[in-house]
Amino acid sequence: MFWDKRNETLKGEKLKALQTMRLKQTIRQSQKVGFYKKRLSGAHVHVEEIHTLEDITKIPFTKKQDLRDGYPFGFFAVPLNKVVRIHTTSGTTGKPTVVGYTRKDLNTWAELIARNMTMIGVTENDIFQNMVNYGMFTGGLGFHYGAEKIGMTVIPSATGNTKRQIEMIRDFGVTTIHCTPSYAMHLSEVAEEMHEPLDSLKTGIFGAEPWSETVRSSLEERLGVTAYDSYGLSELFGPGVAFECPERDGLHIWHDIYLVEIINPATGEQLSDGERGELVVTPLLKEAMPLLRYRTGDITMKMEDGCLCRRGQKIGRITGRSDDMLVIRGINVFPSQIEHVLLKIPDVGNQFMVYVDKVNHLDEMTVDVEINRDYFSGELADLARIQKKVVKELRDGLELRTTVKLVEPGSLPRFEGKAKRVIDRRGDAI
Amino acid sequence: MKCWDPRIEEMPKAELQQMQYRLLKSLVYRLYSFSPFYHDRMKEQNVHPDDIHTLSDIKKLPFMFKRDLRDNYPDKIFTATQDDLVRYHVSSGTTGKPTVVGYTQNDLDTWTTSLARALTSIGLGRGDVIQVSYGYGLFTGGLGLHYGAERIGATVLPTSVGNTERQIELMQDLGATAIACTPSYLLHIGEVAEKIGVDIHKDTKLRTGILGAEPWTERMRIRMEEWLGIRAYDIYGTSELSGPMFTECTEQSGFHVWSDIALVEIIDPKTGEQLEPGEKGELTMTILQKEALPMIRFRIGDITQVNEEVCACGRTHPRVDRIQGRVDDMLIIRGINVFPSQVEYTLMTIPEVGQHFQIVVDRKGALDDMLVRVELNKESFSDKITDLMLIRQRVEHKLRNVLNVNANVELVEPGSLPRYEGKSKKVVDRRSL
Repeated sequence: MFWDKRNETLKGEKLKALQTMRLKQTIRQSQKVGFYKKRLSGAHVHVEEIHTLEDITKIPFTKKQDLRDGYPFGFFAVPLNKVVRIHTTSGTTGKPTVVGYTRKDLNTWAELIARNMTMIGVTENDIFQNMVNYGMFTGGLGFHYGAEKIGMTVIPSATGNTKRQIEMIRDFGVTTIHCTPSYAMHLSEVAEEMHEPLDSLKTGIFGAEPWSETVRSSLEERLGVTAYDSYGLSELFGPGVAFECPERDGLHIWHDIYLVEIINPATGEQLSDGERGELVVTPLLKEAMPLLRYRTGDITMKMEDGCLCRRGQKIGRITGRSDDMLVIRGINVFPSQIEHVLLKIPDVGNQFMVYVDKVNHLDEMTVDVEINRDYFSGELADLARIQKKVVKELRDGLELRTTVKLVEPGSLPRFEGKAKRVIDRRGDAI
Repeated sequence: MKCWDPRIEEMPKAELQQMQYRLLKSLVYRLYSFSPFYHDRMKEQNVHPDDIHTLSDIKKLPFMFKRDLRDNYPDKIFTATQDDLVRYHVSSGTTGKPTVVGYTQNDLDTWTTSLARALTSIGLGRGDVIQVSYGYGLFTGGLGLHYGAERIGATVLPTSVGNTERQIELMQDLGATAIACTPSYLLHIGEVAEKIGVDIHKDTKLRTGILGAEPWTERMRIRMEEWLGIRAYDIYGTSELSGPMFTECTEQSGFHVWSDIALVEIIDPKTGEQLEPGEKGELTMTILQKEALPMIRFRIGDITQVNEEVCACGRTHPRVDRIQGRVDDMLIIRGINVFPSQVEYTLMTIPEVGQHFQIVVDRKGALDDMLVRVELNKESFSDKITDLMLIRQRVEHKLRNVLNVNANVELVEPGSLPRYEGKSKKVVDRRSL
């Protein structure tokens, strides 16, 4: 089934012509942003010199750090009264990354998700429980608007209270769920304990963190769903950027809306189909916040054309990151953010270690940090107070609950050269 | 913009009432024909749609109570088919089962229109940045305000609840001009802002507060307006009516209830008799345009009075005064409705504790704090602190899951809580507004 058959199956010269036209439009739109005006004139790029898609290599990359430097509205190409929504996502340090949307942007985004869900056979007759965070996180509202566009029944259950989530699936006859794969695993365990078969479920949409084929078969068996991988990031609207079709061999990244490159993260050179590298995306229809050659940091590859479903460009499932970003329960965390938070707390030093584990299928992050002797009285109560403070500051800064262990000054490893402060012990075993 | 829809909002009263009559009449016919629940109710009351000749004949129709929703869990009162439902919201019921509200696309549209009018009436519009600090998800506050703010073309900042310092940072950095949240949360934001050295009045562009989901007073309004340099407006609604629906206008003298959307009555909670404008009683509403979960004469349980005079703002729709209390024992904790019966029901599912409990509500800083004191069973009484801690954690966890709000639990010795002959007083509310 198709939501927008013409665009989804566009091919050859017609597709190229559309992409080229939209690329030029996007470059023009980007010239309303001070950063891009400077950046392009600095690189001596003029929109008139962009004739083909290959010319895109003349344009410099945009990095997450650039967005941070533009905080808060430096990347908006329209006046604020045309911006109807703002989302934020974790930045590399203190300040978040701000993303703005015009009404047209919201509509484009909802269209993408409508395409994705229609592609996997979900229709207006389906009942959809959206078990991800609403609010500033784009996962909740993104899928909510897409499902509403299709005319599904939406249960905006958000996260937490697993027992009640299961009761709602049962009582409302929910057919389709959306959550992180690790939460789905947790849900299936609790359902088993409650002896709830969850018979009504048919389709599981899982994303916001990397997951494997092993996890897929396990989830399908336990929940009785067909499981689909969903990919997206807030800078490119949010979830819905790329999505598996029923073939489940790679994710279709909507070719009329996103221009895809895979580059060698070290040299910035384009790689050919089938070679793994960093995903770089130029969104072709963004109005409020156009981006040119945005480096996502995600490692994947372009796949060959010719999917049986007749849709276009596919990328492989995400296999890693080109930087040190972690994904903890669907939330992006940069070690630099942790450092930034700790620097603000005088009671602790700035040496730290991060351990990531799976406990009952859910990610747990433990931060070891050294006490600062000058601020430590030796009282146990004082220790508890400092620990609580660090937990709270980390929660506020990262939007994430962590476990904090206070350790003796000087006991954490010191690094010469590149610090290795993160030990990820999750492996593949969800 | 002065009015979102001037034709309706400033329509002469007589015309409005004619419109209400027509809407009521067709609603009653529709429900009598298509809703088994309302059909039976009307039969029991011996009333037929043909008996409705004037607006005041609404008195002949049966009331509806919150318990009707529970008894018909989850969707037996719904008059829309699954295909037409596009949303569910769920709120806590009076006992175990939650209250479920379904929406058609038209229902969402009516809800959003109601809020678009309301937000316009307090001077908001395109160019405003509205920070929605109500909870998103199953609670109607977040998504309701979100859709309303989006409809009037404002920039929506969907911050949801929590992380107060981040809320203040975003308010400041992204130039929020209005915030929607509970009045106590705004007080809390004010206090935290002071602590971190942010002067809301000078350092932010905030000038409007849209405050509701819990009762508050004129005194709080004056305090917040002077302290934070904003205008603070009351917003009203319950999930059964769709969600937050109505606000005061800039005159700040009662919230306007749009007559084409809802018909207001004030009822004597004991006799069920209609009361006159200006008399205090139980707020009762008939939602004239609701497809999925129709509401005829729904007894909300809030005590207030209605004012039928045309408002100085020019709007002809009746105004309802601030809520002054409840007819039942419902508590509102940080914007969430809590019935003592839910607590009782939850405790009964935990074998280690008895059925004797006491709820103590307090304010810590600006925020509500609920403590549930529970007697242990004789058999479960143990000297081992770890045992007791485990039981306490379990009770807290269960209560949070059922009530959707955090409660602190204190385990006490068997027989140590007061016993009551006659009506028990299980709630000690130490908050003062």
